[in-house]
Amino acid sequence: MKRLRQIIEDFSIPTIAVILGLVASSFFVVLAGVSPTETFARLFCEGFGSRGCETFGDLLFVEIEDEDTGLFVTHFAPTYGDRGHALALALEQATPLILTALSATVAFKVGMFSIGMDGQLVLGAVVATVIGYALPNQIYLWAGVEDPEMVVGLPLIMMQIFIPTLAISGAMITGAFYSWIAGFLKIKLNVNELISTIVLNAIAVQFVGYLINFPLRADLNNVGRSERIDDTAWLIPFSRAIFEDIDWFSGSRLGIGIVIAVIMGIIIWVFLWRTKAGYEQRMTQGARKFAVFGGIPAERAIIRAMLISGALSGLAGAVQILGVERRIVDGFASSGIGFDGVLIAILAKESILGIFIVGTLFAGLKIGSINLQFGDIPRQLGSMIIALIILFTSMEDFFRDWITRIRLRFSPIRDVTPEKSKDV
Amino acid sequence: MLEFISTHQKTLQRLLIIGGGILALLFLFALPQNVIKSSIRLSTPFLLGSLAALIASRAGVLNLAIEGKMLLGAFIAVAVLYKTNLDPWVGVLAATISGGLLGTIFAVLYLRIRINLVILALALNLFVANATVFFMRVWYDSYGTLADPSIQGLPTIDLPIIQDIPVAGTILSGYNAIVYIGWLMVIVIWLILERTKFGRHIRAVGENKEAAETVGINVTRVQIFALTLSGMLAGIAGAFLSLGVLSQFLENMSAGRGWIALTVAIFALNRPLPAFFTSLFFGAAEAISLYIARQPEITIPPDLISLLPQVATLLALIAVALRIRGSEVMKRRAFVQQFSQEFDDLKRKIIPPPPQET
Amino acid sequence: MASALEMRGITKFFASSSVLASNNVDFSVQAGTVHALVGENGAGKTTLMNILYGLISPDSGDILIDGQTVKITHPDDAIRNKIGMVHQHFKLVPSFTIAENIMLGIEPSQMGFINRTQEADAVRKLSEEFGLPVDPTLRVQDLSVGMQQRVEILKSLQRDARILILDEPTAVLTPQEVRELYVIIRRLADEGRSVILITHKLIEVIEIADHLTVMRRGQVVGTDDVKNVTVKEIANLMVGREVILTVDRKPATPGQVVLKVEKLLVADNNGLPAITGVDLEVREGEILGLAGVSGNGQTELIEAIAGTRQIDSGHVYLFDTDITTSTVKTRRNKSMAHIPEDRMTTGLNLRTNIDENIVVTMYDHDEYHNGNLLRYGKIRDLARTLIQKFNIKSAQVGEGISTLSGGNLQKIVVARELEGNPKFIIANQPTRGVDVGSIEFIHQTLIDTRDAGTAVLLVSVELDEILALSDRVAVIYEGQIMGILEGDDLNKETLGLLMAGANIDDIVGATL
Repeated sequence: MKRLRQIIEDFSIPTIAVILGLVASSFFVVLAGVSPTETFARLFCEGFGSRGCETFGDLLFVEIEDEDTGLFVTHFAPTYGDRGHALALALEQATPLILTALSATVAFKVGMFSIGMDGQLVLGAVVATVIGYALPNQIYLWAGVEDPEMVVGLPLIMMQIFIPTLAISGAMITGAFYSWIAGFLKIKLNVNELISTIVLNAIAVQFVGYLINFPLRADLNNVGRSERIDDTAWLIPFSRAIFEDIDWFSGSRLGIGIVIAVIMGIIIWVFLWRTKAGYEQRMTQGARKFAVFGGIPAERAIIRAMLISGALSGLAGAVQILGVERRIVDGFASSGIGFDGVLIAILAKESILGIFIVGTLFAGLKIGSINLQFGDIPRQLGSMIIALIILFTSMEDFFRDWITRIRLRFSPIRDVTPEKSKDV
Repeated sequence: MLEFISTHQKTLQRLLIIGGGILALLFLFALPQNVIKSSIRLSTPFLLGSLAALIASRAGVLNLAIEGKMLLGAFIAVAVLYKTNLDPWVGVLAATISGGLLGTIFAVLYLRIRINLVILALALNLFVANATVFFMRVWYDSYGTLADPSIQGLPTIDLPIIQDIPVAGTILSGYNAIVYIGWLMVIVIWLILERTKFGRHIRAVGENKEAAETVGINVTRVQIFALTLSGMLAGIAGAFLSLGVLSQFLENMSAGRGWIALTVAIFALNRPLPAFFTSLFFGAAEAISLYIARQPEITIPPDLISLLPQVATLLALIAVALRIRGSEVMKRRAFVQQFSQEFDDLKRKIIPPPPQET
Repeated sequence: MASALEMRGITKFFASSSVLASNNVDFSVQAGTVHALVGENGAGKTTLMNILYGLISPDSGDILIDGQTVKITHPDDAIRNKIGMVHQHFKLVPSFTIAENIMLGIEPSQMGFINRTQEADAVRKLSEEFGLPVDPTLRVQDLSVGMQQRVEILKSLQRDARILILDEPTAVLTPQEVRELYVIIRRLADEGRSVILITHKLIEVIEIADHLTVMRRGQVVGTDDVKNVTVKEIANLMVGREVILTVDRKPATPGQVVLKVEKLLVADNNGLPAITGVDLEVREGEILGLAGVSGNGQTELIEAIAGTRQIDSGHVYLFDTDITTSTVKTRRNKSMAHIPEDRMTTGLNLRTNIDENIVVTMYDHDEYHNGNLLRYGKIRDLARTLIQKFNIKSAQVGEGISTLSGGNLQKIVVARELEGNPKFIIANQPTRGVDVGSIEFIHQTLIDTRDAGTAVLLVSVELDEILALSDRVAVIYEGQIMGILEGDDLNKETLGLLMAGANIDDIVGATL
C-alpha cells in the first residue's frame, strides 16, 4: 500500500505542476485576446493530434467526414495518419532532445553538472557533415565514378551503411573528446564544470561558425552554409523510404534517428543500472564519500561518464544533420538543443523512460505552438508555456515541504523517548 | 612546476598585466580610429553585463539569467517609448526597473523557493526570450522588429574639454550616454564593494556565509539585494542594445551577450576594474572581426578573432586553478617540514609502550 | 545577587537525528568568573551554547540575563544582550582585514559609506584597551591561528560582550599561545565579565576555571567550584555510564604484526596538523582500542590508514607491504575492512537499496559479475544471506534502507565489512547511535572475529566499550599517542586522565 501511495505522490506532483503551468500561461493567452481552453486544445492538437483534431477529445478519437460517402467516421486518433500526424513531427524533433537529455543524465549521474551539450553537439555535427560529403566524393574519385546516380545495387547499399556509420562514429568521438576536456580539468584541477562547459560551449559554437563561414563554406548564399551531404550519407526519413506508403509519416523527416535514440536509451539504461561501470557512476553521484570509502575509482568514473556524455551529444548532432538538415547552416547551434536537453533531463528526474516522455511532450508543445493558427497567437506561446511548466515542476521540493508541514500540523507531535538519546 | 608558479605568483601576475598592456597599446596604434571607437561601443553591454555578473557572484550567487534580464531591458526600453513621445531616459529607467524586478523575482525563486539555479536561469531566459516576441506581436502588432520613428535615441555626449585633446579626445568623447554610464558604473560598483556597508556585507556573504550570519547579517536579504542590483545593471545593458544604436528592438537582440558577460566576469576574477579592461578586450575582438569582415583584402577570418577572448578565458580558468593547487601543495609541504622537526623532540616526551614480552 | 547568566530547563530534541541534545538543563554563571562547561563531544555543551547564542532555538526553557528573562532567537538578539561567542571553527572572512572583520555588521558609516579611519582607530583603541595588540590593516588569511583567535575575541569585545563563550579555544593553539590566552581570560573575568569555557581538557579546567559544570548525554551531571574537585573526579563524571557492558572474553593470543603505522603526519581539511607523529602496531588476534575525546585526530588517522586521506609523511604497512600511497581498492584487496564512524554518509548510500549498498566492496569479485554486467541475482542472494545472519530487522532485499533504524543500518555495514573474512578491520565508533541489542551483537561479532585471528583497531569515545573489548588501549590526544596501556594499568581513571591531556609520567610513574 505504501508503494502505491508513493507512486501516486510521484505522479501527482509533476501533474499538478504542469496544470499550474498551464493555468499561469492562460494569463498570457487571455492577454492575447483568446480563450485559454480553446487555445490549449488547439495547442495539443497541433502538437500531438491527427488531422481534424480540434478539441481535447479529438486526441483520442476523431471524427472525419469521409470524402466519398459524406458520412462521419470515427477513427482512433493516434494511429489515424491521413495526411500525416503531428506525433511524427514531434518524435522527429524529440530525437536530438532525447539524445542530449541522455547525455546530460549520464553526466549528472556521476555528479558532474556539465551543460556542455551544445558545444559537443555542434562539433559532432560538423564532423558528420564533412564526412558526409567529403568521403563519398573521395570514394567516387578513387573509383572513377562520374555520375553518383549510377551507383546502384550492392555498392550503393554498402556505401549507405558505411558512410553514415563512419560519420556518426566520427561525431561521437569528437563529442566525447570535447566533453573529456571538462572532465579532465575537473579531476586534475578542480575547475568547476558548470563554468568550464559554458566557456567551452561558446568556443565550440564560435569555432563552428567560423568553419561554416569560411573553410567549409559551400556557396555565396547570404547565410553561410556547408556543402550538402551526399545521398549515401543521408539517413532517409521514413516518409521517403521503408514506410513511404504509410501516411502517418508524411510531412515529417522522422527516420532511423528515433530508432537510434531508443536503442541508445536502452543501452544507457543497461549501462547505468546493470553494469559494473554504471554502478560505479551511480554510487559516485551525491555519495562521493561512500564511493571513495568503498574503493570505487571515482576519477575514472567521472572521465568515463564525460566521454559517454560527449559521445551522446555528438551523436545528437550527427543524427540531426544526417537525418534532417543535411547541411550545417550558420545559426544551427543557436537553437539551444543542448540546453533543452539539460532541462528535459532534470524534469525527467534522470529516469530514462521519463526522458522519452518529457522529450516528446516538449517537442510536441513547441511544434504545436508554431502551427497554432488559431486567433493569431504568436508561436512563442509554446515556449512560454514550457518555461512556466518547468518553473512549477522544479518547485517540487517546495511543494513537498509545504505538504509535509500541513501534515505535521494535523498529526500529533511524537513523544520524546529518552531511550533515543543513545547517540548525541 | 606547481611550486614555481606559486612562489613566483606575484611576479608572474605583474608580468602578465604588463604584457597585456603592451599588447593593448600596440593594438591601439595599429587600428584605425573608428575601430577603436566601435570597440568601446561594443564593449558597453559586456561591461554592464559583467558588472551585473560579478556583483551577484561576489554575493555568492552565480547569475545565469543575465541574458534574460538584458533582453527584457532592451524590450521594455523600446516598448515604453513606443508612440508615447517620452524622453528616452524614461525608457532607460523603465529598463533598469524591469531588470531589477526580474532580478528580485529570480532571487526569491532561488533563495526562498529553492528552485535549482540552472533550471531557474534557463527557464527564465527561455521565458523572456519568447515573451518579448509574444508581446511584440500581441500588443504592438510588430513582426521581428519593434520600432517607431518617434522614438528618440539617447543623446550622444561630447565631453566639453576632453574632446579637444589631440588623439585621446576623439577616442574618449562623443559616445552614447550609456557608454559613459557604463564607465561610471565601474567606479560606482567599485565604491559599493570596497567602501560601503552594503558592499562589505555582500563580500562577507559571498566569501564566508557563516561569518556573516554569526554577526547578525541577514544573508538572504543581502543576496536578494545583490541580485536586484545585478538585474538593474543587466537592464541598463539591454537599454543600450536597443536604444543605444538603432532605437529599436529586435527579436533575440541580446544574442548571447549575457553569457559572454559572464565569461568576462570570470576572466576578471569578479573585480570591477579588471572587468572594464576585459570587456574592452572582448569588445575589441568583436569590433576587429567586424572590421575585417568588411575588408576583402584581409584574409583572416573574423570569426577566429572573436574566438580569441573565449579561448583566453578558458586559459584563465586553468591558470587560476593551477594557482590554487599550487598553494595547497605549498601548505602541505610547510606542515610536514614543521612537524618533522618537532616530531623528534615531542617523541621523547611520550613514554614508549610498555614492553610486550612477559 | 542574580547570576549574570541563568539558563533554566533548556530542552532541545533534534527530530532529524532523533537526538535529545539538551534534557532539562539548568546552567548558571556568576559575573566575574570563569566557568568551564565540560563533557565529551556530543555531551550537549555546544548545543547549549548555540542556543544561548541564538543559532538554535530550544523546545522549552528560559534564559535570564542579570535576572531578567530574555528572548534569543537569532545571533542579533544574543549580541544585543551582550553575549559573544568565539566558535571552534573561526567565522572570519579570509580576505578582509582585521579591522574589517571585527567591525563586520557594525561598521561606522555615513550614508552607507564606511569611515575607514574611524574603523581602524576604533579597533586600535579596542586592542590597546584589552592588551591584545593587533595591526588592523593585516589580512586575516595571513595571520597565525592564535592571532586569528585574538581577532575573534576582539570581535566579541567590540560588541561589549559581558558574557563571552569560548568553544574549545585551545584546540588550535601552541602552548605559548595557550598561556597568553589564559592571561586574557583572567583579565576579562577580573573586569566583571563572565567567561564560559567549553572544553574537554581537564588540565585547562583546573588551571583557569573558577567553577565547572559537567554534562553527559544532554544532561548536567554535576556542578561545583573547581577548588572542590580533583581531576579524577571530573574524569569520572565525564566518562562514566550507568550501563556497564560486560562481554565474555577470553584473553587474547596475539600473533604477528598486521598493521604498522610509523611516524605519521596527517593534515586535516583546513591544512592544519591533525596527526603530528603517530606510531602504532596492531597484531593478529588482538583488539587494539584507540581511546580519546572526539576531535583529537582519530578521524584523520583512520582515514589515513583506510586510504581516504592523503598522508603527508610517514608510512603505513599492512603485512609488511607499504600501503602509504595505495588506493582504497588495493588496501581492501589486501584484506583490510573498515567500519566507518559515519554510516549515513560514508558507510552507506541511503539513496539506493540494500543490495547495492552491500556489494560496494565486492562488485568486482568474480561471483558478482559476468563480464561487464553485474549479477544482480547473486547480489540479491548475498543480501538475503547477510540479512538472515545478522538478523537485520525490517530490511527487505531490493528495498531502500533510508527508513531503517540506526542499529540495523550499522548491522548492514558490519555484515558487509566482515563478509570476505578480512585480516584487519578498523571499527570506528561501531556502536554509535545503536540500540542495546544491536550493540551486544556487534560487540560479540568483533570478539568472534578477533578470536578467529583478525587484527582489530577499535576507535571509540565510549570508555566502557573500549574497556570491554580491547586487549590493549592507546590514548590519542591532539594528534599524538599519549600512551598505550594494558593489564593493571588499564582502567577508566587512567584512561580518562590521558584522554584529557595529562602526561603519562604523572600518572603511571610508579609502575614504570
